[in-house]
Amino acid sequence: MNGKTWLLKAFFGLGLLILAMALAQALSLDLRPYLVKVVEGKEVLEENPLGVKPGDILEWRLAAENRSQGPLRQVALVIPIPKETYYLEGSAKPLVLGSATIRPEFSFDGGKTFGFPPLKKRIRVVENGKEVEKEVEVKPEEYTHARWVVPEVPKGAKVQVSLRTVVK
Amino acid sequence: MKGVAVRFLGLFLALALGLALAAGTPAGTAIQNQASASYIDSAGQPKTTTSNLVTTLVQQVYSFTITPDGTETNPGQIRNGLPGGQVLFQYTVTNTGNGTDTINLSTLQGTADNFDLSNIKIYLDGNCNGNVDAGEPQISSVTLAADASACVIVAATIPATAQSGQYGNLNLAGTSQGNNQVTDNNNWARAVATTQAALTAFKAATPSGNVQPGGIITYTISGSNTGGSPAYGIPVTVDNTPKTGILIEDTIPYGLTVISMPTGSAGAGSIRYIYYDGTAWMTLTTNLLPITGDGIKKIGMLIEGTGAFFTQGTQYTFSFQAQVPSNAPAGISYANSATVKFDANGDGDANDPGETINTNTTTNTVAATYQPLVGYPGNVTLGNETQEVASAYAGQVVSFTNVVRNGGNAPDSFTLSLQNSTFPTGTTCSIYAADGITPISGPIGPLAPGAEQNVVVKCQLPATYYENPADGQTTTYKVELKATSVNDPSKSDITTNKLVDILPGYAVDLAAQGYSGDNIPGNDNPAGQNANPGQTVFFPLELTNTGANPDTYNLSGTVPAGWTVVFYPDTNCDGQPDGAPITNVGPVNPTQKVCFVAAVTVPQGAAPEPKSVTFTATSTNNSSVYDTVSTTVTVNLVAQISLDPDRQGTVTSPGTIQYTHTLRNDSNAQAICNISGTGGAYGWTYQYSTNGTDWYGALGNVYVNPNGGTVTIYVRVIVPAGEPIGRTDVNTVTATCQVDTGTATDTATETTTVVGGELRLEKQVDKTTAYPGETLTYTITATNIGTGDLKQVIITDPLPAYTDFVSVSATIQGFPAGATVLYSTNGTTWSTTAPTTLPAGGSIYVAVDTNGDNTITSADIMPPAATITITFKVQVQ
Repeated sequence: MNGKTWLLKAFFGLGLLILAMALAQALSLDLRPYLVKVVEGKEVLEENPLGVKPGDILEWRLAAENRSQGPLRQVALVIPIPKETYYLEGSAKPLVLGSATIRPEFSFDGGKTFGFPPLKKRIRVVENGKEVEKEVEVKPEEYTHARWVVPEVPKGAKVQVSLRTVVK
Repeated sequence: MKGVAVRFLGLFLALALGLALAAGTPAGTAIQNQASASYIDSAGQPKTTTSNLVTTLVQQVYSFTITPDGTETNPGQIRNGLPGGQVLFQYTVTNTGNGTDTINLSTLQGTADNFDLSNIKIYLDGNCNGNVDAGEPQISSVTLAADASACVIVAATIPATAQSGQYGNLNLAGTSQGNNQVTDNNNWARAVATTQAALTAFKAATPSGNVQPGGIITYTISGSNTGGSPAYGIPVTVDNTPKTGILIEDTIPYGLTVISMPTGSAGAGSIRYIYYDGTAWMTLTTNLLPITGDGIKKIGMLIEGTGAFFTQGTQYTFSFQAQVPSNAPAGISYANSATVKFDANGDGDANDPGETINTNTTTNTVAATYQPLVGYPGNVTLGNETQEVASAYAGQVVSFTNVVRNGGNAPDSFTLSLQNSTFPTGTTCSIYAADGITPISGPIGPLAPGAEQNVVVKCQLPATYYENPADGQTTTYKVELKATSVNDPSKSDITTNKLVDILPGYAVDLAAQGYSGDNIPGNDNPAGQNANPGQTVFFPLELTNTGANPDTYNLSGTVPAGWTVVFYPDTNCDGQPDGAPITNVGPVNPTQKVCFVAAVTVPQGAAPEPKSVTFTATSTNNSSVYDTVSTTVTVNLVAQISLDPDRQGTVTSPGTIQYTHTLRNDSNAQAICNISGTGGAYGWTYQYSTNGTDWYGALGNVYVNPNGGTVTIYVRVIVPAGEPIGRTDVNTVTATCQVDTGTATDTATETTTVVGGELRLEKQVDKTTAYPGETLTYTITATNIGTGDLKQVIITDPLPAYTDFVSVSATIQGFPAGATVLYSTNGTTWSTTAPTTLPAGGSIYVAVDTNGDNTITSADIMPPAATITITFKVQVQ
């Protein structure tokens, strides 16, 4: 048996393993982009657009389904905001599940921390020749991630969240 | 007049005149996105998962501008020229799309004018000085990368037949090659035929294009009178004084600073450099410098002269320098144009067409500069600054907070590395995010210009290296943090993190319970204890971690050979062992105290004397750190001797019988014994011997070795003649022993019965005390001590009370051949086999059949010196 065959076998084996892991996921996630167009004054969504242009609005829909045999708790659904786009303020809507309303949280540090708007950050600026630290509000355009934390997704249940971003 | 002049030369250009980053995501960029989720599954396990990966391509958007704009009725630029002369129109073409595009250029003659222009040519103005220089090519299109721009000149000739004051209009139209729906067609310019004076005005910026922060741009405005008549000056008030001259003025670009006096020349008139402060012109002098542009302030040159002084062909030039702010962000553009005002017709103003000329616009863009700065809070400078931490303990982590700042003018990321460490061997230093937990891998950033990010350099010091005593600045430990720009790896900065002293990090105080960690060494040793041989004594101990680091300690002890020491946990510190033995106390935090118990077992037979023992706790992190306590175990004297067993015998009168006793020394020291007896009640002679040969009335100084040493004591009884049959005498023998400092005694008896016949019976038992269930073995020996045969000898022994019969057997000696042992339980029926049961209260009968009739009669004899030895076993109930 030569080295090449070995490598091939190893690769194949790994592929099967990954497939098996994917199948075993209790929570399935499906992310789809939609291009938001306005035709004759009405909004039209084009699913999986082949191409977009600067200024185009993309809607990202994330569908999550609990395929496990029991409820899942503390389900945090995260949609990243691609760096070539910026978040369209107000487009991430609260998720209403029964009597619960789950407001989206946002991150501006790459998903390390999340919070409800307005987000604040500290920056150093020069004022009157002195360097001072100031707290400023983070603009929605600077958001990097949005998330919804669902307390419980029952067995078999589906939830969907979405937000819109603008191509820079 | 109508006409279209379109030229396609197909000259491919890729000029970047100031690349501003803004227009949009570049065409071809793949927008990728993948959602994720974390959750807790029904088994309570935290899990994460990711969605499919979505990819969307960014397509090209075509967009461009041509400036200056103008309509045919209100052209963006007006140039005066002699009939038959050439005029130049200057344009800037900018690609405002997100990908490279070619813009096709064409010109269009006006329809609301007096004449068409001829000999129209489009040139690329490579240096953007507004003039067609040698080598600058003729073009019909420009190809520009996204955000790039190019300077373009349209040259045209005024018809020779044109009358002074007539004009022709020309439009420069552009069409995107990528999308021909994208056009820019409102760029009208006008050429005015004049026989009056006409001044040209070109503006050049050196350098053209990119400029460094802090760099200097030299602007030069130049031109000449290309008209048909000399030019007049216009009235200008300078220093509140009316002056007349040709005015060249330039609004200082916003943010740029004029730092030196301008230079200039003019072929006619005299030169005055002037400054407009927003209100009035004044003569520019060095003490007015520097002047920073605010969009209003102007710098200028007034060529003073009276009348039509600036003759045809006379040239002028005006040059000034402006400095870019040192903190200018990358991508900022400085656009600038100048205006030349003169009077062509001598009416005393510059308001007639062609009397006020705008130059082309130069554009300089601030180049990106990259410079990481690294330091520590409060001191972030380019250069190697040092922050000190006074001390840290061996085995601990010393942390340094460092600050990384983007000292460039463009977003940049920085690669961090550590170098030139002088920390002791075994130190490991790593870089963490500001939280001090998240390791940093790869570059940090991007950081905006001036933005900072804290990082933490943590060095794990080895456990075994420290200064003792700390030597201050004599020995110090440094490691440099280096930050290198990702965009320009030639730019870096370092800062030094310095630790002055490394203090001992590990220490332990071992003591008797209640006395560790009190800084009083004198009370550490536990009190000595006494122990019997074979006994285990417990020393309650405790240790306190008096070091700065968590540690754990191995326990060990030194005891005399044959002794053992074992340690037990004592979780509740009550001095009693709790649980299985340990060799290590487990993790102990600084200042924490742990109790345990040392169990010292003294072996059997240990001599009665004090012995020293020590206990040691040794740091597992640094084996040179340990503490030892010592104490003594004094072995108790055990004085115990035994003189056994008691003996019974029968003797004739006169007669002699000899007994033995075993004198055993179970002490832990040698016994020196005296043996004497009571002598009985009848004056019989009792003699004692240690060898059965030499007999004495008593024995002295009988040495018995300790720990089970034995000496056999012989007792001889000499019974005089005439003692009545049945008389029994009891002699009590006493052994009185000196054992070390103590004494021990024991006694044994010989019970001797005078018998008539000549059969002597002796009975012995194998143990003096027995517990229920134990077996007692009686040995009964019958001897014919006479000189004649005895007849019908039957030996009977009753089953002792509270015992169960086990077995009986007998052996014989000195009987005639063929003699057989017979057993009976009633004395009348005999068997050659021993009984297997015997009821309570029953007796066992043993006799010897010498005539072979299987029963015992007077015909059965026992010869002189013959013996019957019976072994009779019973079990204690």
